[in-house]
Amino acid sequence: MQKNTSTLLQTYLQYQGSPFSDPGFAAPELQLSSLPSAAVSFKTWHAMDDAERLSRAQGAFLALTQHLQLVGDDQSDLNPGSPVLLAQLGAARLRAQGLLGNMAAIMTALGLPIPPEEDTLGLVSFGASAFERKCRGYIVTREYGHWTDRAVRDLALLKAKYPA
Amino acid sequence: MGVYLRWKQPSWMVDSIRMRMTSHLPWLLSALTLLHLTVQAHSLKRGTIQDLKCTTKNMLVWDCTWTPPVGVSPATVKEVCIKDRLHSCHRLESTNIKIAALSPGDHEVTINYLNGFQSKFTLNEKDVSLIPDTPASLSLSADLSSSTLHLRWNDKGSAFPYPSNATWEIKVLQNPSMEPVKLVSFNTTLNGQDTVHHWDWASELPLQCATYSVGIRWYIDYHRFSGYKVWSDWSLLKNISWTPNSETNVFPQDKVILAGSDITFCCISQTKVLSGQIGKTFCPLIHLYGENVAIRIQNISVSENSGTNVVFTTEDNVYGTVVFAGYPPDVPQKLNCETHDFKEVICSWNPGRPTGLVGPRNTDYTLSESISGKSVTFKRFETLTNESYRLAFQMLPGQEIHNFTLTGRNPLGHAESAVFINITERVAPHVPVSLRVKDINSTVVSLAWHLPGNFAKINLLCEIEICKASSEQEVRNATVKGAQESSYLVAVDKLTPYTLYTFRVRCSTETFWKWSKWSNEKRHLTTEAIPSRGPDTWREWSSDGKNLIIYWKPLPINEANGKILSYNISCTSNEETQSLSEILDPQHKAEIQLERNDYIISVVAKNSAGSSPPSKIASTEIPNDDIIVEQAVGMGKSIFLSWHADPNMTCDYVIKWCNSSHSEPCLMDWIKVPSNSTETIIESDQFQPGVRYNFYLYGCTNQGYQLLRSIIGYIEELAPIVAPNFTVEDTSADSILVKWEDIPVEELRGFLRGYLFYFQKGERDTPKTRTFETGHSDIKLKNITDISQKTLRIADLQGKTSYHLVLRAYTHGGLGPEKSMFVVTKENSVGLIIAILIPVAVAVVVGVVTSILCYRKREWIKETFYPDIPNPENCKALQFQKSICEGSSALKTLEMNPCTPNNVEVLESRSIVPKIEDTEIISPVAERPGESSEADPENHVVVSYCPPIIEEEIANPSADEAGGNSQVVYIDVQSMYQPQAKPEEEQGIDPGVVAGYKPQMRLPINSAAEDTAAEDEADKTAGYRPQANVNTWNLVSPDSPRSTDSNSEIVSFGSPCSINSRQFLIPPKDEDFPKSNGGGWSFTNFFQNKPND
Repeated sequence: MQKNTSTLLQTYLQYQGSPFSDPGFAAPELQLSSLPSAAVSFKTWHAMDDAERLSRAQGAFLALTQHLQLVGDDQSDLNPGSPVLLAQLGAARLRAQGLLGNMAAIMTALGLPIPPEEDTLGLVSFGASAFERKCRGYIVTREYGHWTDRAVRDLALLKAKYPA
Repeated sequence: MGVYLRWKQPSWMVDSIRMRMTSHLPWLLSALTLLHLTVQAHSLKRGTIQDLKCTTKNMLVWDCTWTPPVGVSPATVKEVCIKDRLHSCHRLESTNIKIAALSPGDHEVTINYLNGFQSKFTLNEKDVSLIPDTPASLSLSADLSSSTLHLRWNDKGSAFPYPSNATWEIKVLQNPSMEPVKLVSFNTTLNGQDTVHHWDWASELPLQCATYSVGIRWYIDYHRFSGYKVWSDWSLLKNISWTPNSETNVFPQDKVILAGSDITFCCISQTKVLSGQIGKTFCPLIHLYGENVAIRIQNISVSENSGTNVVFTTEDNVYGTVVFAGYPPDVPQKLNCETHDFKEVICSWNPGRPTGLVGPRNTDYTLSESISGKSVTFKRFETLTNESYRLAFQMLPGQEIHNFTLTGRNPLGHAESAVFINITERVAPHVPVSLRVKDINSTVVSLAWHLPGNFAKINLLCEIEICKASSEQEVRNATVKGAQESSYLVAVDKLTPYTLYTFRVRCSTETFWKWSKWSNEKRHLTTEAIPSRGPDTWREWSSDGKNLIIYWKPLPINEANGKILSYNISCTSNEETQSLSEILDPQHKAEIQLERNDYIISVVAKNSAGSSPPSKIASTEIPNDDIIVEQAVGMGKSIFLSWHADPNMTCDYVIKWCNSSHSEPCLMDWIKVPSNSTETIIESDQFQPGVRYNFYLYGCTNQGYQLLRSIIGYIEELAPIVAPNFTVEDTSADSILVKWEDIPVEELRGFLRGYLFYFQKGERDTPKTRTFETGHSDIKLKNITDISQKTLRIADLQGKTSYHLVLRAYTHGGLGPEKSMFVVTKENSVGLIIAILIPVAVAVVVGVVTSILCYRKREWIKETFYPDIPNPENCKALQFQKSICEGSSALKTLEMNPCTPNNVEVLESRSIVPKIEDTEIISPVAERPGESSEADPENHVVVSYCPPIIEEEIANPSADEAGGNSQVVYIDVQSMYQPQAKPEEEQGIDPGVVAGYKPQMRLPINSAAEDTAAEDEADKTAGYRPQANVNTWNLVSPDSPRSTDSNSEIVSFGSPCSINSRQFLIPPKDEDFPKSNGGGWSFTNFFQNKPND
């Protein structure tokens, strides 16, 4: 899944034209208010308890599934003749949903409350310009990778803590 | 001021004219006086006259204003009077007045003041300025997406005489510099009504990036108004401003533009913009105001699918937009409309040049039909590549004529293409389905298929493809009346019974447009029919003549018309009928026991549909005695036979053949040839090269068949595979008789054309003779073309010689293998005898004759060869007295007699003693024989031995023959005496030995043998020392004619040169006789070796 996220990001950027498709493109300053950033200082992360970590990851992947859907729609508008990209976006969304389900199961197993599903996108997204949609897609695919990395770390910690 | 001046000056002139008109010469003086006073009065007023200025807004009312004279208050105006007008005076108390427009021309205006002052003006329309009101009802709006300003205003034309021309001037100011970025003027016409005008302006810079203000003014040009036309004041500026939202900072957003055009992007930023780029290309920044910047892109290229990105980078953020550059739709190409089923019309086209735009910006196509007024739209996001676009239009029932227009639209424009069709002429039916075949009879089937669609009003043209299994293909056309959603039925005739056919169908309409695709294939086997003829029949009597064997051939499939199940055979004669029925098919031969009568044999083939017509043949064979067996050779895989036409043969000819090695009755196959033919080519897969076949040509008459010709032949001759088996019948000394046997026909593999016989000298184990090299000159070849010849005598051979014999047979196919044999000829005994007897006889005769001659001429010989010579006696005496008779040497040397007895009697002892002395003396000479021969004649002292007696042995002819004149004594002193004793002992045994070797010391032998015959002569001979007598040697030297005259043999034997020579004067050839050693050589050897020479 981690490998898929990096492939998705590369594929996504490849279809957005320069400068997105330029080698080494990165715009860490771009953020989406509706999508929590995966970047967190080690100290903060370390200070979190399991419930908080799981809760944040769960919230992030909930937002990611919705955002990936949105990006898929955007790209079917911008790149309708690119089935590879559209398929990868769809697959990523399904994986995010799968991970979300797993985390819900873990939280249930740990006796943690599952946050209710909410619409993280709101109404603002529909009037976005093409450039905003490209940037939005970039942020979503980037954060999808970051959150996957973080979730792997979170779950590994949990696994170490609760063996079998 | 100008107006004013003009107005004042004419008034003065009017006065002066009037003055001139009223004054006359009688009154000239008084007039001059008055003029003077008037001028004086006027000069007083002139300083007080001020400007009169008139303007008009609508050419109906003039608004005039003037300045009162100095010292006069504007409030003291009493009235203004205009001459030539009713109610010409207007009372008022100000310095401006509105008056109705005056007619063209000058008008005198007088202004009276309360204080009595008066001002007079001349007023003309030309001096009036037309200054329209500022344009009103001004509205300004902006289309941000297209960066366009829309200006609207009302010309209030109802207030002006019409038609008038209005000229407008509009300025666009860009904040904050307030410099006009656009100033434009244009004309309109006032038509007496209030008209709203509009003006649009597209800004290069997106409107969001600046604030824009717009002002307008105008002037009116009315042709009847002769005054000044003056611009109105500028209207109040209308502003367009855009309130930036926080998210979007780059403009324009998501713009679709034509590829190749220019576009400006601007970025509104609070912080410094570092760079601006489109795609990968960085562009120079155009600074607007504040931190706002713009970049200008010229000749933009076609975007990729997701558009071209334009990105501005600030110190802390990135702003961007996407532009989609592409093309308007191309005119749809190859627009083609057709129907498959009269339910819908399918129109297809090629979009032409790609627009470069996808998704929502892709081209939408609308197909509209003008007669029905219906339309359908084609919309899809992705662009089809290399594929034609299709749209289906639902047909209205009954509508045949259609006028289609296809319009393609995208954000950059639209294009259209039209087609006008009669749909009944554009029918491309669907694929026929459900193809079925049904038998009607063995040659006719019915084909049925279903064709979806409503073809009720037209006829269908269909093609039926009929394929036989043998890939023979036939296409037949069928026209059927169309129907709605119907199946169609067609009968297909002229088929062959019991044949597997493959059918398929495709359809079009009578007004051909396109064929449908071929339907699926349908295989069908037609039913059987009775065989069309009886089988090809032949008959043979068995070898014992009791049974008639009937042969028939299976019918070819096209004549069998089905699967042959069995055959029925009947043999009918005048007396009886025998039948064999239900002979099952694989059997094509039957045997019937019959008497030797004439029968008619009838063969019938049966299949499931019935029996064939009978095939009849007579059993009778008419004898023919004039049959000659002929030969024929084929060509490759066939053989050609021809014959003379025989009018008696009425039915046909039959050629049958069989392998000649097979026993009778032999039948491999037969063919029937029509009676009018005289030749045929027989081909059969059974024919093999190198196999002999018998061909029999029969002619058919009413009575039966008669053998006409018998031919043996090969379709191809091959070389024999075995060699003829041959033996040697007889051998003699010079000939061999060879006999051989025939090669069996199976191994001959062709017609025998002859034998090749080679022979060569050679022995079995000699490698050279194992194989014959044809080019070898020793090989003798005999080509025996008479194949009946079975023997061959080879003559002129050598006796007792081994010969290598080879025999090969050959055909036109080549040479067969060879068989070889070694034979040795016998010895030739007669020749041997003759060869011995003749030389012996000749030798005897010569010996006798010589002896007689010598005897008769002995005196002469003695005179010639043995004259009295004293010197040899001295020599002898010197020699022997040194050793034997010592002390009286000087005396005895000169004596002749004492030496003679020594010569005879002291032979034994002398042979030893002188040997030692000679050895001592001669040794130095013997070591250098070459020198000694030269030194001999001069050194008399050293060479003191007795030279050998050179005896001519006439009695031994073999020595002459074998050695010839080269049988010369050469021996040196050392070896001279050694063989001396032995020849004496062996002399009686074999004189031949002596003949080969003649040492000097033969002298005593000869003298002993002939002592009785010629004692004196012998004495002389014994005492004769030719070497010592130089003079004598000179006389008998080989070069002297005398020597030659006397006897050549003597000359040879007596050659002084050879006496001392240790070299061989004879050729080495004589030494090569190995058999001559010791026992000498015989005549047998001589003859044996002679052929080898």
